[in-house]
Amino acid sequence: MPIGGYLKKLLRRRAAAPDDAAALRLEFKERYHHFKLLLGANCKALEVMSDIEETLRGERLFGMTFVRAACTSVCVSVFSMVRGLERLAPGKYTALFERFDAIQKDIEEILARPLPPRDPRLVIPLAELNRELTDAAGGKMANLGEIRNRLGLRVPPGFAITTAAAERFFAHRELQTEIDRRLQAAETGRLDALYALSAEIQQMIIRAEIPPEVEEAILQAYAALEAECGHGVKVALRSSALGEDTGENSFAGQYRSELNVGRDTLLTAYREVLASKYGLPAITYRLQRGFRDEDIAMGVGCLAMVPAVAGGVVYSRNPVDPHDARVFINAVWGLPKAVVDGSTACDLFVLSRDDPPELLAAEVREKERKYLCYPEEGVCRLEVSGPERLQPALTREQAVALARVALALERHYGTPQDIEWATDEAGEIVILQCRPLTAKEPPTEAAAPAALEEESLLCRGGVTASPGAGAGPVFVAERAADLLSFPQGAVLVVRQALPRWASLLGRAAAVVAEEGGFAGHLASVAREFGVPALFGLPGAVERLRAAGEVTVDATGRRVVAGRREALLAAQAPRRPLMQGSPVHRLLEEAARRIVPLNLLDPDALEFAPEHCRTLHDITRFIHEKAVLEMFRFGQDHHFSERSSKQLYVEVPMQWWILNLDDGFTEEVEGRYVRLGQIACRPMLAFWRGFTAIPWEGPPAVDGRGMLSVLFQATTNRSLNLGVRSKFAERNYFMIARSFCCLNQRLGFHFATLEALVSERTAENYLSFQFKGGAADFERRMARVHLVAEILEDLGFGVEIREDHLVARIEARPEPDLLKRIEVLGYLALHTRQMDMVMANPTQVEHYRRKYRADIEQLLARGSA
Amino acid sequence: MSPTHVLLVDDEEVFTRNIAKLLAHRGYRVTAVNSGDAAIRALEEQPFDVLVLDLKMPGLDGIATFREMLKLGLSVETIILTGHGSIDTALEAVKLGAHDYLTKPCEIEELVAKIESAREKGRGKRP
Repeated sequence: MPIGGYLKKLLRRRAAAPDDAAALRLEFKERYHHFKLLLGANCKALEVMSDIEETLRGERLFGMTFVRAACTSVCVSVFSMVRGLERLAPGKYTALFERFDAIQKDIEEILARPLPPRDPRLVIPLAELNRELTDAAGGKMANLGEIRNRLGLRVPPGFAITTAAAERFFAHRELQTEIDRRLQAAETGRLDALYALSAEIQQMIIRAEIPPEVEEAILQAYAALEAECGHGVKVALRSSALGEDTGENSFAGQYRSELNVGRDTLLTAYREVLASKYGLPAITYRLQRGFRDEDIAMGVGCLAMVPAVAGGVVYSRNPVDPHDARVFINAVWGLPKAVVDGSTACDLFVLSRDDPPELLAAEVREKERKYLCYPEEGVCRLEVSGPERLQPALTREQAVALARVALALERHYGTPQDIEWATDEAGEIVILQCRPLTAKEPPTEAAAPAALEEESLLCRGGVTASPGAGAGPVFVAERAADLLSFPQGAVLVVRQALPRWASLLGRAAAVVAEEGGFAGHLASVAREFGVPALFGLPGAVERLRAAGEVTVDATGRRVVAGRREALLAAQAPRRPLMQGSPVHRLLEEAARRIVPLNLLDPDALEFAPEHCRTLHDITRFIHEKAVLEMFRFGQDHHFSERSSKQLYVEVPMQWWILNLDDGFTEEVEGRYVRLGQIACRPMLAFWRGFTAIPWEGPPAVDGRGMLSVLFQATTNRSLNLGVRSKFAERNYFMIARSFCCLNQRLGFHFATLEALVSERTAENYLSFQFKGGAADFERRMARVHLVAEILEDLGFGVEIREDHLVARIEARPEPDLLKRIEVLGYLALHTRQMDMVMANPTQVEHYRRKYRADIEQLLARGSA
Repeated sequence: MSPTHVLLVDDEEVFTRNIAKLLAHRGYRVTAVNSGDAAIRALEEQPFDVLVLDLKMPGLDGIATFREMLKLGLSVETIILTGHGSIDTALEAVKLGAHDYLTKPCEIEELVAKIESAREKGRGKRP
């Protein structure tokens, strides 16, 4: 009480004059309104916070749109609370505005963190490129420059069109603004919406004008290339995006390459490659891996076409088993495209790491197709005929030379490499690109193929493109439209391991393809996503089409009917894809200023605005103070009608009730209110639960004695050792017909309950907090966990911090919530002092059983 | 009680037309204008219960309109409409005194709930 003694009593007796009474009634009404808005904002803030936490924990995909929206929403809600408290107690808590501004500024800075500055040149010749220029030229071109200029390996002549050029392009005539606007308005959770959006944005890019300075720079660089390679030289345009090929992430096959491009189509081709940043696979990949759009700046490589006799991919180690250090070469006739897009079988050469490397195995396959590039017709797919079909695409000498190159690149970069190569008409090796190998730890030895009954075996053999095992219903994807209907958790079955299926990998349990090897784009993305993939299984589509649920054991190279837990058990849990991504890191960092709760004890000295370190702290502080301010009003204004009244029950317990609005059935005169005059449904529900089952001790007492013990606990100050504030001495209910806010202190135990329960289900909520106890920390913790367990079973979301428990449930129908409030009433009484016995496991079990039985009984009763 | 009078301000005419129609169906009286200047004029002419104001408009944008209103003492409970791109500005508007914000595209039910809440707040002020 702010003023003590006789004077205070005298003041309180002086009732408000009728005119004052009308004004005070009005003022109270307005205060109640602000209080309601404040509680609404509190709910919203807590809702967003738990959403943020869940997002950080789980495997849900999110982008910057979510991060920004969540941060803004929580900031607006918390600010509304700060403002609300200011209205309830003008000038009293102004320090909160400063705290809020400081925290919000931190969050803003985290979200707005700019990208590092880059080399401003629009084009850079290959002869001047190296690793250090990755930000300017993108990973692919910087790597090619590095191996050309520092390792002296042969690469095609060419130049990089830099990320700065792409930024100019996207900034020109506000193209990027328009793209962002469309992206931000889209529902990124729906593939069909994304599909349409992707097409729309790509069209915009293809039709957009290239800024004159960029156009000029590109054409000048091309002219220089003509001077080096001859007039009208045909070039390949390849994406060389930032963030691409960084080892952790391979954007393999997400972007477009344009082959056989001449001067006349150069600028169109450039736009086409830029547009592929917004292709469906690229958009979904960024979403799945947590890249912001702005994290991906598009560099483009412009390289003279190599008249490839043969081509393929070489791995400096086994990509599906990093413990296997042999060098693996995949080779086809013509351009390496056929290896990369998984459209034909390819030769496999395996070599040792010796110097010189020794050819350990050569598997020569029937190569049915090849891609060749003709000056006029461009890239053509040809059927391979005659003896060439079965001839190896590489000589032994070439294989050895390639293995040497792979080992040299691995040494240079210090990590295993994935290298695309071609041989020219002179038989010389040309490196087209190289990047870190995305390898995957193979499953443990326990996964060694278990014996299975023959009849359940649906397919056997093929190539392990990504190890592991996965199960789900078969989904055969044949057309692009199938992208849209692919269900979460299905097994993707396709004829060719085409890159376009990569956008489904975030949802697939496993992948099976009739054609394709482990060198293709789809295989690398599968490895990166940790999705088991088994390729090279002819006839799989027809055999699996009607198989229903299957288990794909990619490591054991077989597909079996049904779900096989034994095979799946050996599969390591898939890592959450978003973890470690730029967007995840940003959200994690912002969340540190939002979510943690540091203010736990309202009686502690630290419970003050200047100790609010997070937005959650601010909400906790405001909530506590707002309740207090609501109670003070009637007392401060000597206004009986809006002062709290003591609940008159059979025995003298100190329960104080403040009617916020329509919480009483009638006008209540004087200082006492009877239970029969209470109209508040949540409070009555709490009371039903509180008094339903007599407390059995300790000490063991009968029903009447129980209440006397309660009385002691609630009135005897000497029991309330932890109590410092007057407010905390009693049990308070603030009520309206469908709302109650309870602050309860029983002995050493502190509980709050806040409930809004009406027929408007969407707005309903129940929040319960519980803290304290007389026993040591361990025992109090044990009790908190037992309470948490019970509440979780009832559908509450529960969080525990030290011995402080916060439980929430929302948007449930009125009868459901009233029943739960009864349970909380029961728990508020019965869990007190049981912290004293929590060290004894037999007792704990006894209480667990008793609570469950009692709660069952409570739930089975009618609520009348 | 007279129906809640909503002033809707957005330069996208299709959007305003649709929203105005949907709100009218729900018993609101709606006046729609397409610019910040028109909004100020409308507010000077007659009182409104709730203002629904788009942030991104050519000419006088949402924030500038809101500031101008404050300067002229035209007080009305305001709900800010914002795209995801300008969502950070929503906080600025709320700090200036706007009641709440909503991101576009929005569900009509959501808008109605916010209008109701703003209306209630306005009533709390002027009983």
